[in-house]
Amino acid sequence: MDTLLTAEIAANAPRYRRRSSTQLDGIHDVSDHQNNLAPAQLYSTMSGRLFHSGRIAIVMVGLPARGKTLGVKTRIFHLGDYRRASVEGGQVPQDYFYPNASPASLMSRQKILKKCREDIYAWLNHENGQVAIYDAVNPTANGRLALAKEFAKHDVQTLFIESYVDDQEILKENARNVKISSPDFHGMDPDEAAKHYLKRIETKIPVFETMEEKELNYIKMINAGRAFYYNNVSFNYLSHRIVFYLTNLHIKSRTTFFVRAGPAADEDSFKADAPLSDEGQAYAQKMTDTLLRHREQERQASIEQGGSDAPLRPLTVWTSTRLRTIETAEPLKEMGYKVRQRSEMSQINPGVCEKLSERAIRALYPEEVEKHELDPYHHRYPRAESYHDLAVRLEPIILELEREQNDLLIIAHESVLRVLYSYLMHCSTMDIPKLKFPRDEIIEIIPAAYQNEAKRIHIPGLDPKTIPGSPEDIRIPVPSEPGANLPPIPGMNGPEPSVEFIVTRPPEKIVNKAAEMVSDKVADED
Amino acid sequence: MPPRTNGLGIMPEDTRICVVMVGLPARGKSYIAQRAQRYLKWLSIPAATFNVGNYRRENAPRPSADFFDTNNAEGERKRRAAAEAAVSDMLKWFKSGGVVGILDATNSTKERRKWVLERVSAEGIEVIFVESRCDDEELIMANIRDVKTTSPDYVGQDPDKAAVDFRERIRNYEKVYKSINDDGDEDHLTYLKIMNVGKQVFINRIQDYLQSRVVYFLMNLHIRPRSVWLSRHGESMLNLEGRIGGDAALSHRGEEYALKLPELVRESVGSDRPLTVWTSTLKRTIATGRHLPKHYNQLQWKALDELDAGVCDGMTYQEIADQYPEDFQARDEDKYNYRYRGGESYRDVVIRLEPIIMELERSEDILIISHQAVIRCIYAYFMQKTQEESPWVPVPLHTLMKLTPRAYGTELQTYRANIKAVSTWRGKGSTAKHEDPAPEGGI
Repeated sequence: MDTLLTAEIAANAPRYRRRSSTQLDGIHDVSDHQNNLAPAQLYSTMSGRLFHSGRIAIVMVGLPARGKTLGVKTRIFHLGDYRRASVEGGQVPQDYFYPNASPASLMSRQKILKKCREDIYAWLNHENGQVAIYDAVNPTANGRLALAKEFAKHDVQTLFIESYVDDQEILKENARNVKISSPDFHGMDPDEAAKHYLKRIETKIPVFETMEEKELNYIKMINAGRAFYYNNVSFNYLSHRIVFYLTNLHIKSRTTFFVRAGPAADEDSFKADAPLSDEGQAYAQKMTDTLLRHREQERQASIEQGGSDAPLRPLTVWTSTRLRTIETAEPLKEMGYKVRQRSEMSQINPGVCEKLSERAIRALYPEEVEKHELDPYHHRYPRAESYHDLAVRLEPIILELEREQNDLLIIAHESVLRVLYSYLMHCSTMDIPKLKFPRDEIIEIIPAAYQNEAKRIHIPGLDPKTIPGSPEDIRIPVPSEPGANLPPIPGMNGPEPSVEFIVTRPPEKIVNKAAEMVSDKVADED
Repeated sequence: MPPRTNGLGIMPEDTRICVVMVGLPARGKSYIAQRAQRYLKWLSIPAATFNVGNYRRENAPRPSADFFDTNNAEGERKRRAAAEAAVSDMLKWFKSGGVVGILDATNSTKERRKWVLERVSAEGIEVIFVESRCDDEELIMANIRDVKTTSPDYVGQDPDKAAVDFRERIRNYEKVYKSINDDGDEDHLTYLKIMNVGKQVFINRIQDYLQSRVVYFLMNLHIRPRSVWLSRHGESMLNLEGRIGGDAALSHRGEEYALKLPELVRESVGSDRPLTVWTSTLKRTIATGRHLPKHYNQLQWKALDELDAGVCDGMTYQEIADQYPEDFQARDEDKYNYRYRGGESYRDVVIRLEPIIMELERSEDILIISHQAVIRCIYAYFMQKTQEESPWVPVPLHTLMKLTPRAYGTELQTYRANIKAVSTWRGKGSTAKHEDPAPEGGI
């Protein structure tokens, strides 16, 4: 969702959803017929590659690759998966991981390596891939130099990323977190697994050399992002984006809330930028009451469970520069909450579709509608913005969101919420245009160790008219599917419960499986 | 009707940052400081540089190298006093609303850095040290020749003698110079260390978004020679009618300009080396670039689209004045902040252009074909125009501008295609129609 790149390659940034080994990451999992375009790519070329960047292999050194990858066509190649797939029954010989393995084990190691790298070249060269993430331990300087040379021969630039930890506290924390859930240990007695696991680490640590190769491009992330070292021999555009992204990652237990703006007086004009209607004013007040009550209840619940009775984390409010969002924040502003206006958060521009009914658009722009149906995420109506344009525009907001330390309430148009939500919850780009945010719900996104969780908090007592399909919604036709109001989020179906207390639905999505990923990594070798 | 302006574009909240430069003389500290200041001011973040050398010159205008010898008590005292004066002026400036203050001095010892950190953080201001290290002799000598021999310290002196004296001055600094955290006892500092103009970079303890923006910007700076070319699209059908916005095709004369552009560009580039062409997504810029040589890469950026005039899109100034008289008036009063109903202000355009500027800093030769308001904003960045000036800068049609960044400031050359076009410029407070800019207003 980054302009070009959203590489969460950082260690200890474990929002991860791993689908399968050689898969596009979750966000950018696009359907086959639009294979040439990667989401969040600033411009498109025939090959689907950014020509001013070139093909690049990101090589992980001693740390697991994280998903939620790049805004360009990216694929992760996990060596560990290749090993498991190529060895009968998933069992490797005892000495497979040892530096001084037997000839048979060495040979099987070489074979697996070769297969993985061949797949990388094939993908970059014949499938228009732009960024291949090669996920293996790559422990020795000589191995890395050879690897970079080999990639260069295939016209691929290499960027190494190493996570370097020498802080004892972080090491201990990591050891506690890594559960031995790797498929390698499946069905094994936990104690037995732990022994194997530790032995494996021992066999590797003596050969691991931290990166100091002056002739290679590398980024060394030190102690989980406290410091960074860049050796820039020839950084290109993507490398620079990765740098910025990595320095902005921040793991904080703070909450983000999303709400819609209230309904406006002038219903369906984008350009008019109308103020709130009376219902809109009422909505702003009810939303505020519900949110503040919810925060206080959460705090009380936490105290009852023995949590600290410290005051709530401060809440900051971001709105767009559209009047409706500013006015929706008014009650909070009057109570002294800090409200910031961000022009990047304006709703999607409908272009020529403004004020037209869906039927009129179909009649006037039949060709555009056809193109739109093929690719609702990237297609742009005349003078309008596509969701992709919007995602690019929102990139600075996303980076700042990663940095924010306070709790955050975002009041914005549904189109903006769709993009931000999909970033935080790892939705597929193809689902973005269809995500729904009814006005009677506050979305709460809570980062947890290995998963972002989303809760929906009901705002009671709203005029039902104002709840569904937003009146200010831009009527850009979306592909007509059976049951056109397709609920993309489980648990969103059916009538709203009209109860007069706060309903908190169970977390709707468990996203990440990074714990598995991390432990899995320990088993990788090359 | 509420005022149709927004607040600050980038609101840095309560963060105030003091950027403390560190490094030996002739390591490009002032260059870095000046570029950072220009970038921040363009984004409406109040930024100022406090150069300790300027304070020192008040008491010791043209000192010889031994003034900088640490054993010279008199020199030491005066230099210390200059640092004191610069820091206290900076703190005063922060109190009056400053957000990013840059302390431009060598700050080459641990003691001096500790002193600055204590003075500044006592006021609740974050400190980030930015060290420029360079051991590439050639780069250092080039810097000495270019900048230092024109320094006020050496006015009227023989350049060769000045260079020798300056090398001697550097040696005096080298005696006490300690790179940040070389002894391992400055790990608590937030710092950015740039080695050999970005070949290696070390970042420690970056705390917030504004800091990371500054750091990212500095990492993208390079000193390879290059230029940026700017052109508006050729005259469009709507230009002929005096209408703003829209997505019209080129007029006949606009087509002529598109045909002439390759020649104009070649003349300006002076060689066959290819440029990368960036256009907007609107028809008129794409059409203007379409005759450029095939080996020029072209890409379209949504962010280069014209300022969105909202409800006024496609109107003439007269129609706007008739239908929205208050708006017409308000726009004249504060054109930078005025946001068209349902559209954008210049400030909004600057915010959406920020990634473009970042990419421009990183890139080499680029030709941008865009629109009047967008070109004005990019021009304002390079030429350091204020918010009062930038929305009024005349950018005539059928003219190519070449901007070349130099150590201090940017050099501008213009190339006219000599193809007639309507004027799309309107003076402040003037009647509601396009007119020809006053001759002295031309760029």
